[in-house]
Amino acid sequence: MSFIDARQVPNGTQLTPDLVVVGGGPAGITLALALAHTPIKVLLLEAGGMEFDSATQQLYAGDETGVRYIPLDATRLRYFGGCSNHWGGWSRPLEPIDFEQRDWLPYSGWPFSRAELEPYFTRAQQLIEAGPFLYDTLAKGDLPGSLLPLGPGGVYNSFFQFSQWRGNANHLPTAFGHRYADALKGIPNLQLMLHANVTGLRLAHDVRWVDHLDVATLSGGRFTVHPRHIVLACGGIENARLLLASNDVISAGVGNQNDQVGRFFADHAIPRNTATLVVFGGEIAGFYKANQDARGAHFRATLAPTERFRREQKLLGALPTVEQRVELDEIGRAAVATTSAALGVDASNAHAYSLGTGLELAPDPERRLTLIDTRDALGMPRLKLNMTISDGDFASYRAILVELGRQLLAAKSGMLRLDRSTRTEWLSAMDWGNHHMGTTRMHEDPKRGVVDANAQVHGLANLFVAGSSVFPTYGASNPTLNLIALTLRLADHLKGVFG
Amino acid sequence: MSVSRRTIMAAGGTLVAAVAGGIVYEGWRLLRDRYPPTPYDDLLDRLNSREDARRIGLVFLGRHRNFTPATAARALRQRIGAHELSAALANEVALGGITEAAGWIIPESVAGLCALAASV
Repeated sequence: MSFIDARQVPNGTQLTPDLVVVGGGPAGITLALALAHTPIKVLLLEAGGMEFDSATQQLYAGDETGVRYIPLDATRLRYFGGCSNHWGGWSRPLEPIDFEQRDWLPYSGWPFSRAELEPYFTRAQQLIEAGPFLYDTLAKGDLPGSLLPLGPGGVYNSFFQFSQWRGNANHLPTAFGHRYADALKGIPNLQLMLHANVTGLRLAHDVRWVDHLDVATLSGGRFTVHPRHIVLACGGIENARLLLASNDVISAGVGNQNDQVGRFFADHAIPRNTATLVVFGGEIAGFYKANQDARGAHFRATLAPTERFRREQKLLGALPTVEQRVELDEIGRAAVATTSAALGVDASNAHAYSLGTGLELAPDPERRLTLIDTRDALGMPRLKLNMTISDGDFASYRAILVELGRQLLAAKSGMLRLDRSTRTEWLSAMDWGNHHMGTTRMHEDPKRGVVDANAQVHGLANLFVAGSSVFPTYGASNPTLNLIALTLRLADHLKGVFG
Repeated sequence: MSVSRRTIMAAGGTLVAAVAGGIVYEGWRLLRDRYPPTPYDDLLDRLNSREDARRIGLVFLGRHRNFTPATAARALRQRIGAHELSAALANEVALGGITEAAGWIIPESVAGLCALAASV
């Protein structure tokens, strides 16, 4: 079955699927694939087409305040496949500590442990085409090079794996829209509609049920969808926007009776050139600097804090990686010569590298999305993001770097220089991961979260949310693998809901 | 007991070589250690290069204004003692004895030696 173009749907049409999935990104596509062999009649609504279109992308524009962030219409993509059309393929499962409620980290903790996601990681790994699920077990096998020796302590050699569209000469990460288009077309109980923009969730009279969805096209089409159940899967920003903008009955928006929707926005901060890593013995193994292949996996090493160290020192997650080779200044050369000689090590062939990192942010209710008066071409209110990052977030990462430096000295393998100290310095070299999380956070208490442990919106019997917007705490691992595992779990739950 | 001419020649050669070696070593040491004597030479002699150490030490002293050479030297002697410097540092680093100088994470004793080098 070919995809339907919503611009061809007559105005006033009422569609009545069992389940409507709003959004054709990795979460929406995963859900549709997972429900393929069930009797559930699924309608997947994608706002964009098969390729980028500037008029559609413009619907994402918004305002920003606070710490400089990526413009809201540049940090995501509104066409089939969503953000998988520009992801880098970096993958790593969240760690058990990321799910734990930690007294020293306000608002932390998921309503379940990582064990709940374990059964879904293998399938999620298949969907992102990242080879066998190896990650940290890579350290136990043959690698094309030596691991950086570290003394005992809080940092260890850990690994990313990478999504890789097998057979593609460019080894691009899996772009879900193009990669799974044919598979989706072959699902008999699925209708997939392009150019279908959901502009509102309309509540039933008892406000405990979403009665229907308003859908609009940029060509002026208007129709409605009256499903039994709904899954919002349009990304960590747009999920919140749709809930907030559906405010015709409840002024705060759907699911926002406790003022939680849009709060706790998060991304991974990616400060560059955060430290200089010197390896006394010469060139570091290639898999620290770039992706390499081993045991069927496309992988790269990171110098990660152990869970034990994070607990003891009360630290957020961070995943430092080698960026590029750098030259040392006069002080640097003196530091290396003096320290290596004192340690009794020859550093005449030492190599120096800059370190960047993916950095977890502490949950912050004031880092949030709110509606503004400006409206887009479909009449939807636009968003404003208030972006924050605390000095504590930087200090946490700095503590990890100091420990790494100590372990290098202990192993007599190298040393480390901290290259960022002040807030201004940190912010001057800041990138972001485009990993939108947290805005419909998961919590069993409706006053502290938007969805429950099954990703069902509190107080609404037929509305669910998929994707990283439900992450209540974020970890440092890239979200795609994890949100797909979480979506597969949701698919299992929905099978039970539909009986 | 008779001593052969060959033995005498060999012994003499060895003596000449030893004396020459000593002269070369002392000459090299005099060239290297072109510093006036200090009360901390037993410590500073453990450094590979006083000039390199001095560069780091100056930065370190900029953030440790209350550094006093005599106190630091006493602590360093206690910490390092008669051990090889590398062995003492290994123990120190394992116990968390690190500090920061110009952003570099270095063993506290290395920082102390560098600060001494910059103080004299």
